[in-house]
Amino acid sequence: MQQKEIESIHRHYLKQEAKNRYWVFFTQCMLFLLFLALWEVLARTNTINALIFSYPSKIWAQFWSQLLDGSLLPHVGMTVWETIIGFLLGTLLGAVIATLIWWSPFLSRVLDPYLVIANSMPKVALGPVFIVGFGPGLMSVIAMGCAISIIITTINVYSGFREVNQNYVKVVQTLGGNKRHIFRLVILPATFPTLLATLKVNVGLSWVGVIVGEFLVSQQGLGYLIIYGFQVFNFTLVMMSLAIIAVVATLMYQGVAFLERRLTSQFK
Amino acid sequence: MNQTPSAPAKIELSHVTHLYLSTTRAFMAVQDINLRVEEGEFICMVGPSGCGKTTLLSLMAGLELPTAGKVSIDGTPVRGTSRQVGYMLQQDYLFNWRSIEDNVFLGLDIQGIRSRETEQYALHLLDEMELSDVRKASPMQLSGGMRQRVALVRTLACQPDVLLLDEPFSALDYQTKLKLEDLIFSTLRRHKKTAILVTHDLSESIAMGDRIYIFSRNPGRVSSEIAIPPAIRDSLPFDARNQDGFQDLFHRVWKEMEVVSDAAKGN
Repeated sequence: MQQKEIESIHRHYLKQEAKNRYWVFFTQCMLFLLFLALWEVLARTNTINALIFSYPSKIWAQFWSQLLDGSLLPHVGMTVWETIIGFLLGTLLGAVIATLIWWSPFLSRVLDPYLVIANSMPKVALGPVFIVGFGPGLMSVIAMGCAISIIITTINVYSGFREVNQNYVKVVQTLGGNKRHIFRLVILPATFPTLLATLKVNVGLSWVGVIVGEFLVSQQGLGYLIIYGFQVFNFTLVMMSLAIIAVVATLMYQGVAFLERRLTSQFK
Repeated sequence: MNQTPSAPAKIELSHVTHLYLSTTRAFMAVQDINLRVEEGEFICMVGPSGCGKTTLLSLMAGLELPTAGKVSIDGTPVRGTSRQVGYMLQQDYLFNWRSIEDNVFLGLDIQGIRSRETEQYALHLLDEMELSDVRKASPMQLSGGMRQRVALVRTLACQPDVLLLDEPFSALDYQTKLKLEDLIFSTLRRHKKTAILVTHDLSESIAMGDRIYIFSRNPGRVSSEIAIPPAIRDSLPFDARNQDGFQDLFHRVWKEMEVVSDAAKGN
């Protein structure tokens, strides 16, 4: 087969691929628009209760007016801030605990049942304890965002450490390496992809923790807006907050996913 | 080997017994092993699987300490891993997250002896193995044979006197394996290393070794020892296979192996 022919076949394939991608994207957009349109029409014709479900144009209007009078951004900023802190703390502390129990097999055996219990525990049930302990404010919300991801991080990272092929450890040992070398040269780099995958899970978890935390106790944040909107029966406010959460949480997740792709490219 | 009989052997095992302990049982991997390896010798260890060959390598490398008996190198008891002993595993286990060059420098980093001089030596070895043009590449870009050569350089870069080879050719295709046998054989001869090779391949053990130890299992013990005549010993492994007397030797080792496998079945 001639080079020209091969190229033309490949070009044709690329064109087909581009076309497919375009259709997928187009259908995705149409689906979303259809959903919005249907919602709008059903609510305006009173087929569904507009008071409970609100409708897109009203939510959009609410969004604009709140954005312009400056009463919206502090809520968004607060929640994002709390989520990032909770996420970082949970991940960091979880990784540190995992390192400690990797370092000391004794500690690992001692802590094992406690980890199992802590993991089975629904963390949001600890809300009242946090509020009493940290006071009704920022600290409690962050503690919730952190608590929800810390144990699962510990367990995931530790099992990642343990799954590292022992022969890599043997290589370092036979070259005269000690435990510190093993950790720095083998365990950490080998589990780097696991660590980054854990980050992706933790972003989602921290959102859960923070929103629930704000439900329970707070004067500011998207979780607060939802609860407030619910109490005063302003469902436009609730729907708007949900939409904002969907957008911001997706952005954050994609940010971490991007980071993961960049940092693990050398492993693939 | 201009050594007086009283001089300590390069490697000496006397009455070495090793147990593996678990909650369910105590398993005796090797029992009462006595062997002596002189400086510059190439020793091959063969035997049925589970006869404790790898255990012996771990003991010599200092990865484990014997339950009873003594392992010494240059007359000094082995208390842990040391720079003197290099170890090569069945597979290369190169670190994918490091370049070829950085894989080769790994031992230098660990032992804190990385300097321009030692780096130059490592790169020189890489050159000897015809790998200098891939020094910046990632291990994933290399073929199995190339990777195993890099692993050899990684081991030799720390300049060990003793090299322990745990079936380093077993994961390679036949052609690559034969080429690598010649390369490792001549490299070790040239650098005057003492080497111990564990293998399943009887003809490989005859082609590469100066002496062969045949092990029986349950528990692992030395069953017999065969010295290889100079003609075969001194030729490259590939040529050694065509030397007169190679086939006879092969049959002798084969017979010995039958004895130990039958004995194991009889147990």
